[in-house]
Amino acid sequence: MMRFLGLAGAVAAAAVLPEFLPPFYVRVVQFFFFSAALALAWNIMGGFAGYWSFGHTVFIGMGGFAAAHLVTALGLSAGPVQMVTGIVFGALFCGAFAAIIAYPILRLRGIYFAIAMLGISQVVAELANNVSWVKGDVGLFIETKLPGDIAPERFYYYVFGGLLLVTALASFLILRSRFGYGLLAIREDEDTAKMLGVPTEKLKILGFVASAALVGMLGATYAYSLGYFTTGSLFRVDFSLNMIIYCLIGGIGTIAGPILGAAVMLFLTQVVLGGVLELHLLVTGAVVVVIVLSMPDGIMGLLGSLTTRKPATPPAPASPEVAR
Amino acid sequence: MLVLQTALNGLVLGGVYSLAAVGFSLIFGALGIVNLTHGIFVICGAYASMMLFHGLSVDPFFATIPVAFVFFFVGYVYQRYLIQLAVSRASLVASLLVTFGVALIARNLLQLGFSPDVRTITPSYSFSSLVIGGLRVDMVRLIGVGVSLVLLSLMALLLAKTAFGRRIRATAQQPLAANLSGVNVPHVFGQTFGLGAAFAAAAGAVLGIVQPFSPSAEEFWTLNAFIVVVLGGVGSPSGALLGGILLGLISSFTAQYVGPSFTNAVMFLVLVVMLLVRPHGLLGSAFGESR
Amino acid sequence: MTATPILSGRDVTKKFRGLTAIDSVDFELQEGRIYGLIGPNGAGKSTLFNLVTAYYPLTTGEIRYRGERIDGLPTYRLNQIGIARAFQISKPFPAITVRENVRVGALYGVPGPRDVDAVTEDVLALTGLGEMADRKSGGLPVGNLRKLEIARALATRPKVLLADEPCAGLNPSETSDMMECLRNISRRGVVVWLVEHDMRAVMGVCDWIYVLEAGAKIAEGNPQDVVRNPRVIEAYLGVAPPAAAEETA
Repeated sequence: MMRFLGLAGAVAAAAVLPEFLPPFYVRVVQFFFFSAALALAWNIMGGFAGYWSFGHTVFIGMGGFAAAHLVTALGLSAGPVQMVTGIVFGALFCGAFAAIIAYPILRLRGIYFAIAMLGISQVVAELANNVSWVKGDVGLFIETKLPGDIAPERFYYYVFGGLLLVTALASFLILRSRFGYGLLAIREDEDTAKMLGVPTEKLKILGFVASAALVGMLGATYAYSLGYFTTGSLFRVDFSLNMIIYCLIGGIGTIAGPILGAAVMLFLTQVVLGGVLELHLLVTGAVVVVIVLSMPDGIMGLLGSLTTRKPATPPAPASPEVAR
Repeated sequence: MLVLQTALNGLVLGGVYSLAAVGFSLIFGALGIVNLTHGIFVICGAYASMMLFHGLSVDPFFATIPVAFVFFFVGYVYQRYLIQLAVSRASLVASLLVTFGVALIARNLLQLGFSPDVRTITPSYSFSSLVIGGLRVDMVRLIGVGVSLVLLSLMALLLAKTAFGRRIRATAQQPLAANLSGVNVPHVFGQTFGLGAAFAAAAGAVLGIVQPFSPSAEEFWTLNAFIVVVLGGVGSPSGALLGGILLGLISSFTAQYVGPSFTNAVMFLVLVVMLLVRPHGLLGSAFGESR
Repeated sequence: MTATPILSGRDVTKKFRGLTAIDSVDFELQEGRIYGLIGPNGAGKSTLFNLVTAYYPLTTGEIRYRGERIDGLPTYRLNQIGIARAFQISKPFPAITVRENVRVGALYGVPGPRDVDAVTEDVLALTGLGEMADRKSGGLPVGNLRKLEIARALATRPKVLLADEPCAGLNPSETSDMMECLRNISRRGVVVWLVEHDMRAVMGVCDWIYVLEAGAKIAEGNPQDVVRNPRVIEAYLGVAPPAAAEETA
């Protein structure tokens, strides 16, 4: 109940926040919503199931391109219907693509899965750039008509805020469900999970498709927010990496973690170091090294160990009881 | 004739790729660490070679020796005092992330120190080439392959024939047993990493004359090494050579017959397919299937 | 015994590159009993369990559950029809709590209606893990890890529980706890098949014992008969002084 009230408060605060922020910061928060939602979507496979993808940006790109091509092909005029159609199709398209590659790709584990995903994202990006009808090299327009006279950064602030809520809710429902427990078991020990009757292949595919569809949805929306985009603006390796870094910093496998991680890193890079772009890599790298070495469970892990009362040392092993 | 020329280009390119990957391969095979700082070592080797060339007019060919020497110690210290910390605190995944973080830091520092611009090293023989029976090969590339073959053989000999090499192999296969038989395991791990780093940097020193480089090229060389290992096999110079040559051939044939803009797509496609079919490479792992 | 055995194997054989690890072993498990599987190190006890749980495919032979062929089914299906396994080396899910570990078993396992919370709490109580249910399983001491291994398998609501050396590394008091726990499990209608080194424990709890040596079954029978069997004594003790054989009984 307390949690629910806290969440409602946070949502209400976020809803009125743009009234008090200059447009630049509205854009920063909007990008934070987008990034946090991406990290959460990555977290379904990476955090719950333990399958780290290094190429999730492929779904941002495919979502954006699929949306733009569909609404152009259908000849829809800019408006709410056109926008929702594009976003839903972006999600479906990515979900379908994930379902197709899932079976072979999910047979790989660990670093091999990670690198294969990186490979797939590179292949798809190169194809988008070089197959002429995709128009990844010259770029695509995707029109939007904003309701009323709302400023674009405000409009997308609310849209991405809503999508972050959707992604967080989806993550929450998954984590609490039987499905979520199955994914956790896969992450912890896939072979043992099988021994407990967990249909690991099926669950991995489902998790992968869910994660891909959410990223596709976000990618399509991001394409709308850009209005004009090329391969380079969607298939960005740094998107893939940031999803991982945000989860890692905040606490991988949790729900608040990826959001917190995105908040911390974006505050650091956009606000504190907004003026010194040439140091971003260094700061990001240093934060990664420090987090991995000092708090392997991220900020959430640190908070958890402060709030829950754990016995400082495990109780001494029971001595053989003589009187029985 | 075009086929032969393309094949020759591929072989030459592959010879260089092999050398650039062998350090990564050794570290991955023996320590199980995916070293994402690998490309940094390669690029640092290239910058060091460039400075030696401009400052002291040392030929990049000879620059390999001091560069390898320095990076052996850099690698040793890096493994023992940072990576090992991550491995023992958390896991091998943590070591992956630490090397990634360090790569970001190092890339940024290189950008600050040398600017993000693309550089080349141009010794006097840069623009000469050799023509044999109608086939042309650039002098620098020929030298690159020569150095590559010499260094790869050297590593093969080192691993197979010397006591040092035997210690590395024993420790990689059975750390516990090696420890029990009096091997200082952490020391050997550090040495193995140092050796990998030394070869990566030496490769970079020569690569500087073959191919332009910039701080952001480190990503390319790390990925390249990974693909070579996946193609050829983990942990051995022969696996690196096989993988490198295959990669070189794939690149040159794709560039010639499909289009230069598709080389990356095809390279990664081959990577994905190989991962699915035979993730330990054509020659398998030199250190057994334990990982 | 005329009833269809709940689990049976005929001519179960496994060869690894020509090396015969399990050599034409037959077995037959009836409801309501506790079975043992003993043999010297390397006799193939764990390998036999691995075959039953489809960790490896059989080379020849067949395994049946209530008369139906089950060899060739994937591992998770075997669990769903009612065969669970507790590993020799405990494999808890270290980053989640004891209760969550058990819950995974309760959520999956044999399909059908059940109250997940009730099953979880019941199993935690049965195995005596209630007190530490909210601790991360990664930090548990060995004795409790073994219990957790059993608890998690039990939560899948199996008909047959294969327990691979549940007492390895336990002290005598923990061992007797574990045996009591297995007896309770058996009383609830679960057929227990136990691999164990501690002869005293096996003799005390099992109704029927299979003895493997070098992959072949050399004896089976009730505990009293098995310990007197000269081939068993020889396999265990080399050329056995009679006194030593007495002691193990």
